[in-house]
Amino acid sequence: MSIMEHNGGSVIAMAGKDCVAIASDLRLGAGAMTVALNFEKIFPVTDRIYMGLTGLATDIITLRDRFRYLVNMFTIKESRAIEPSTYAHLVSSTLYSRRFGPYFTEPVLAGLERTPSGGFKPYIAGADLIGCLNFAEDFIVAGTASDKLFGVAEGLWEPDLGPEDLFETISQTLLNAVDRDAYSGWGAIVYIITPEKVITRTLKGRMD
Amino acid sequence: MPDMSAIVNPQQRQFNPYAENGGTILAIAGADFTVIAGDTRQSEGYSIQTRYAPKVFHLTDRAVLAVNGFAADGNMFVKKVKQRLEWYRHAHAKDMPLRAIARLIQTMLYAQRFFPYYVYNILGGIEEDGTGAVYSFDPVGSYEREACRAAGAAQSLVQPFLDNQIYFKNQTPAQGSSHPAHLPLPDVLSIVIDSFTSATERHIEVGDGLEMYIVLAKGRTLPDAVTTLRPQELPSSAGDGERVFVLKRDLKKD
Amino acid sequence: MFLTRSEYDRGVNTFSPEGRLFQVEYAIEAIKLGSTTVGIRTQHGVVLGVEKRVQSPLLEASSIEKIMEIDTHLGCAMSGLTADARTMVDHARVTAQNHVFTYDERIKIESVTQAVCDLALRFGESVHDEDAMMSRPFGVALLIAGIDELGPQLYHTDPSGTFVRYDAKAIGSGSEAAQSELQDKWHSQMTLREAQVLVLRVLKQVMEEKLDQHNVQLAEVTTDQGFHILDEIALKEVIDTM
Repeated sequence: MSIMEHNGGSVIAMAGKDCVAIASDLRLGAGAMTVALNFEKIFPVTDRIYMGLTGLATDIITLRDRFRYLVNMFTIKESRAIEPSTYAHLVSSTLYSRRFGPYFTEPVLAGLERTPSGGFKPYIAGADLIGCLNFAEDFIVAGTASDKLFGVAEGLWEPDLGPEDLFETISQTLLNAVDRDAYSGWGAIVYIITPEKVITRTLKGRMD
Repeated sequence: MPDMSAIVNPQQRQFNPYAENGGTILAIAGADFTVIAGDTRQSEGYSIQTRYAPKVFHLTDRAVLAVNGFAADGNMFVKKVKQRLEWYRHAHAKDMPLRAIARLIQTMLYAQRFFPYYVYNILGGIEEDGTGAVYSFDPVGSYEREACRAAGAAQSLVQPFLDNQIYFKNQTPAQGSSHPAHLPLPDVLSIVIDSFTSATERHIEVGDGLEMYIVLAKGRTLPDAVTTLRPQELPSSAGDGERVFVLKRDLKKD
Repeated sequence: MFLTRSEYDRGVNTFSPEGRLFQVEYAIEAIKLGSTTVGIRTQHGVVLGVEKRVQSPLLEASSIEKIMEIDTHLGCAMSGLTADARTMVDHARVTAQNHVFTYDERIKIESVTQAVCDLALRFGESVHDEDAMMSRPFGVALLIAGIDELGPQLYHTDPSGTFVRYDAKAIGSGSEAAQSELQDKWHSQMTLREAQVLVLRVLKQVMEEKLDQHNVQLAEVTTDQGFHILDEIALKEVIDTM
């Protein structure tokens, strides 16, 4: 069995109009056995960046801590919050530094990038386990339900969704995808990032 | 000391009688119609063998069969099903009803239990009581009647989308209302087209062309929204019974 | 008459110069020795009736089996060499079950009848060194009654493998008288009860013994109950209304 699928779990990020959303399931498994249903895979990086990590649970936790340390160092040295695009490259180079002994995780980023005019631009990105970045304009998926997420997202997503419509779209996409995946599910959590605030909602899903 | 150069090591050779030819099929049942669809790309590995290889076949006035998996097995299987339908027509002086075809397909698949047809079948059409029906099969004949089913290379992409759009999974109806048990034909066709354009977008084995067969129950006509799409009507044996139409669409070829 | 048959009535698969198969014709004759059997089709169902010849007071009348179920929706009554009918009914039952297994639907009455008749001409000599399965034609005729999507039907089969559909048919020793009585009395609007009574009246006319619930048997096929043989209580009830 693949090490990437051992603990299960899925993450998806979507871009909207002046907002982004990122969501994940809450399952932690050991093969077919479910171990926990409160295993969060999405972590705040700054006020405007959230990162989801799928794959091997131990690497998810290690990388969470490692990136927190790296971001703290950046913030102290630069005396400013890191921008999503900068953070994406930090993630990429960190993962590639372990090119021949990688962390078994696929990260998904969602954030709002500061524009020269002072506004915010939706920014989402994904990477493979050795840090190859993927800048998509619509959505990024990762995890054991990634193929299902691709199918549903491709059908439901549309450009320029407002925060509430984006919430509905990402929630429906995630729930319906993980319901067809034995290794993902058992509840979900959604973050909607807008320039003003971050909305966090926990979703009730099928518990089977 | 024996001459080691004279010793020949055992060698193993294997012939693999199966191939996987990609593509995706899909069927959705309405109250008095069924839509059965499939893309027309046939591939092996990363090569496209042809951009037009039909996977959906017209069996009788009220039955259409979609086959996906190993194309050689699929084509031979359809040929044998058609032969059995003809024999049945001669023996019993009528067209085989849909549920009888479903059972026949099970027995034909299970007969090959230890050298299976490497094919996923979806049978769609109109039941004896005039309702739309979809039957889905695994390669050895396990089968079930459902309202909708996707199979093939992009099954994992399409099926959860269908769960959401056809079965309204994870959707709560507004207070005092309920989800419809069946969708009207124009809605179903939109969902089918969306499913295939999505699958084409994200799966390399899906694309080129889309063929949608519409089976209409006795006495029903196509809604205007569908007539404008100019579907082609297939000839039927009895003029007043069920009717079958084909709608063709292009899909992206990259 | 019999003189002309001297050479051609031996082999079961040799035509006479006149183009006849005498063994088959003799088999048909054998049926006329059998007990009388009657079948009537109505809009509501089919009724079958047989006479059971109870030759001895020591004989258990209930052990005489001349009406048999083939599937839930059809059955048959026989006249002639009833032992031969077992082979045919066995074949009919297997055919019907096979159909349900393969097609998940009830087999049509005509299809069962056809299957039984396919068997009728399988007599004759063996091909090469295979053993012949049957040495002679069946010596029995059947009335096959059932209901399918085409409604209630009654079929008659004979040893030549011919089958014909009837509204009402009598076979066996009293068949000539019985058939003309049926022709007089049958009408398309008959109720099932009227058909039951007519079957019994026809049997009564041709029977030597006095008809009672022990020496006749009735069966019917209806949409609701399918094929069922009437028990003695139900049978007596019909006899009492005659």
